Amino acid sequence: MFIRSDDKISTSQTSIFLTNTVLGAGILTLPRSVTNVVQTPDAWISVLLGGVMIILLAILMVKLSQQFPSNTVFQYSKRIVGTIPAAVLCLLLIIYFIIIAGFEARVMAEVTLFYLLEGTPVWAIIISFIWVGAYLIFGGINSIARVYQIVFPISILILLLSYFLSVRIFDIDHLRPFLGEGILPVIKGLKSTILIFTGFEVIMNLVAHMQHPEQAVKAVVTGISIPIVLYLLTVVMVIGGLSTDGVLRSTWPTLDLLRSFEVAGLFFERFEFPFLVIWLMQMFCNFISFYFNASLGISQVFGLKAPSVFFGLMPLIFLTSMIPKRINDVFNLGDAIGVMGIIMFVLIPGMLSVIYIIRKKGLKQDV
Amino acid sequence: MISMWSQFVSYIPDWTTFMQAGLTLLIPIIICYSFRSLHSMIKEQNSTEKRALSTDSSGETSGSKLAGDYKSDVELIKQAIGNNCDVHFREFIMGGYEVGATLIFVAGMQAAEHINTQVLQILMMNAEKDSKDNKSLPSNSELSAYMKQKLLPVCEIKEVVDIRDLNQSILNGHIALFIEGMPNALVMSMPNEKTRSITEPTSEALIRGPRIGFTEVLSENTAILRRQGRTENLEMTMYEVGNYLKRNLVVAYMKDIVNLDLLEEVKQRISKMDMDYFAESGYVEQLIEDNILSPFQQGQNTERPDRVISALLEGRIAILLDGTPFALIVPVTFSMLLQSPEDYYERWIPGTLLRILRFFAAFMALMAPALYISFISFHPGLIPTELAISIIEARQGVPFPATIEGLILAISLEILREAGIRLPKPIGPAMGIVGGLIIGEASVQAGIVSPFLVIVVAFTAISSFSIPMFSAGITLRILRFVGMLFAGTLGMYGTVLFFLLICSHLTKLKSFGVPYVTPISPFRINDWKDLFLRAPLPLMKQRPDMMKTQQKKRRS
Repeated sequence: MFIRSDDKISTSQTSIFLTNTVLGAGILTLPRSVTNVVQTPDAWISVLLGGVMIILLAILMVKLSQQFPSNTVFQYSKRIVGTIPAAVLCLLLIIYFIIIAGFEARVMAEVTLFYLLEGTPVWAIIISFIWVGAYLIFGGINSIARVYQIVFPISILILLLSYFLSVRIFDIDHLRPFLGEGILPVIKGLKSTILIFTGFEVIMNLVAHMQHPEQAVKAVVTGISIPIVLYLLTVVMVIGGLSTDGVLRSTWPTLDLLRSFEVAGLFFERFEFPFLVIWLMQMFCNFISFYFNASLGISQVFGLKAPSVFFGLMPLIFLTSMIPKRINDVFNLGDAIGVMGIIMFVLIPGMLSVIYIIRKKGLKQDV
Repeated sequence: MISMWSQFVSYIPDWTTFMQAGLTLLIPIIICYSFRSLHSMIKEQNSTEKRALSTDSSGETSGSKLAGDYKSDVELIKQAIGNNCDVHFREFIMGGYEVGATLIFVAGMQAAEHINTQVLQILMMNAEKDSKDNKSLPSNSELSAYMKQKLLPVCEIKEVVDIRDLNQSILNGHIALFIEGMPNALVMSMPNEKTRSITEPTSEALIRGPRIGFTEVLSENTAILRRQGRTENLEMTMYEVGNYLKRNLVVAYMKDIVNLDLLEEVKQRISKMDMDYFAESGYVEQLIEDNILSPFQQGQNTERPDRVISALLEGRIAILLDGTPFALIVPVTFSMLLQSPEDYYERWIPGTLLRILRFFAAFMALMAPALYISFISFHPGLIPTELAISIIEARQGVPFPATIEGLILAISLEILREAGIRLPKPIGPAMGIVGGLIIGEASVQAGIVSPFLVIVVAFTAISSFSIPMFSAGITLRILRFVGMLFAGTLGMYGTVLFFLLICSHLTKLKSFGVPYVTPISPFRINDWKDLFLRAPLPLMKQRPDMMKTQQKKRRS
């Protein structure tokens, strides 16, 4: 077929979709939130360990999803636990996605207000963001994945370049002592590192949209490894550049790192500018993922038409994003999302797989 | 409990936020539905006309036939088209046989000396010699065969009985011959169409490369294409388009390369076209494109046969229309608009560098004024201090905000360019002096715009000139204004949103099923060798993946 009518994405597109879903607000806040808990320079070990755990969890989700080919979690959950419990679970997941979407939009607006558009009303920023997002979402998962493919290489390039340039203020001593206070702080930090990977739940929907669902594990491993590496780099470079004390003092440590040195001879003075540009694009991708998955869920659970769901979610996401009153509320919401993420995980892939295994293996039922 | 409740209530947004939420919903719905109704209106218009016409044309096709009687047949033709001043009826007596004959033709469309020597002379004088052997003319049905075989030394000759057919052939420049006793008419063609000679394509000039361009005659254009190289796989299918004035249209493709589904789709869209007259291939382009509301063109027009042939070899399809030197290539992708045939004629290093330069120029043509506005009016802190100071110093005394300043200059430049195209050639350079030098210089001195902005706008204009496809340049020029508005309202953030909006639009856009920004996305690594890079020719072993061709390899 020359003109494709199926709305499927390739394996590499799935990886990039996942990367762009996970890689978002965390780049700016991760160093502070982890260091806050860990209190030692070993935060990067937490990130690494947390990432590995996330990969394992994601693989579990993939395995569960692969049992139900071309069904999203919203569709197969009712085959496992029955219609009503499944509807409750799906509703929770949808609310979770909507809250994250609102949160991402708000964080984006806060950073934009702080660095780029002082004095502009928040609603103007968020509404325009939602509108552009909605325009893309109408194109379906294929268009979304293709935009990700354009944004992703640009982001990676600028991100790596900015970390490369910040090598000049990198001081390895800031990362020492290695495990100075033992492994315990690292374990404590795991909680906040898992939070930054929130959003990888979308894989439960992506598998259904893959052209080759059998390659989903590969897609997940690459799709989550890339953010792990980037987050690791972020933590190492930011703590190495600013020291733990410096990180704890700033609201957006990564941007402060890039503001602390000048690049001579370019059209912009500090590397914070291109970084902000790609970060905005990254946040857009992030936001789109949750917006799309939430609308997918609503349309599948309630049997509504996709365009009306896209429209209906616009004011909902806007209201969600306007709920936090101050920036601290935003950060608290972020922490709450992390906790919700863990609960979601226990409920959805965790409980579902256990019930599935019991029904399949124990009771020999045909699910 | 109560404190928790009050805390919860305190987080409920106030009514202004709800109002804004309502607007968030309302405005996109209005925009979406107005666009949708616009779209369906255009679509409907197309289909209703089609239906009306199909009933109409069915009545016409059952044309009447010639009666077979010499006098009444000629009279019939006279009634139908005899009112035209340029239709001539030349009556004469055929020498030797002494039967009446009439030659009907349109003045100016045939070579007169050919009619004299090859028809009239033979029939009036040479036939006499013939008649001595035969004594009498052959009977009714054999007469036309006899004429064709023995008397008329004309290459294109056929018998016609249908009156409508006959009238049309005469008006199109054929010569009709009636002879007493012959039941049908003989139609001969001795065309003498005045055409211009083949010249260098003016819209796509090259330093190095063939100097040949298409002309307005379809048969010449197809011949030029055939002459590009010998192959039996170049296939051309003829269509008749236009409901009122009919014209020929040729779809050309390589039959063992092109994707057959694509070919089917193109043919289907062409046969669905419905228009009374096709003045230029632009009509075809607009009637077969996927998205009418997109600012991006979905067919590439070119005057260069070499460009058409290389596109055919990539598995694309060319559409040639009679009466225009512009051929149409479909499907088109964004990267094609920034490629020039010269990239391939020069060595690969300059080809690659030029191509990267063009991508940069296209980006600048789109974004430079938006970036200027967002830096100057929103974030002067992000550019180096010295630069910011010098720009701000230069802007002192400019009474307008940067957005208005930019719009003033950009719009006046567009007017200048538009005026430059329309003016007669000798005045053109004067225009450049008046517009470019005097207005630019004077507006800076008058303090309406800052000199730095003049640099930015001029740079943008030159960048948009460097795009090889003129129509792609127009697209970028239009979008530039949108970008300026975004930057003017939301600064750098607005510029990023604008970029994302364009990306979203481009990824949604398809030209005959090929995503517009292939191979960037969907990512096709094999096609990247002909994107920003122009890989050395030996490396270009395969045809583009995106075209899903029948033959993948370029080499045996």
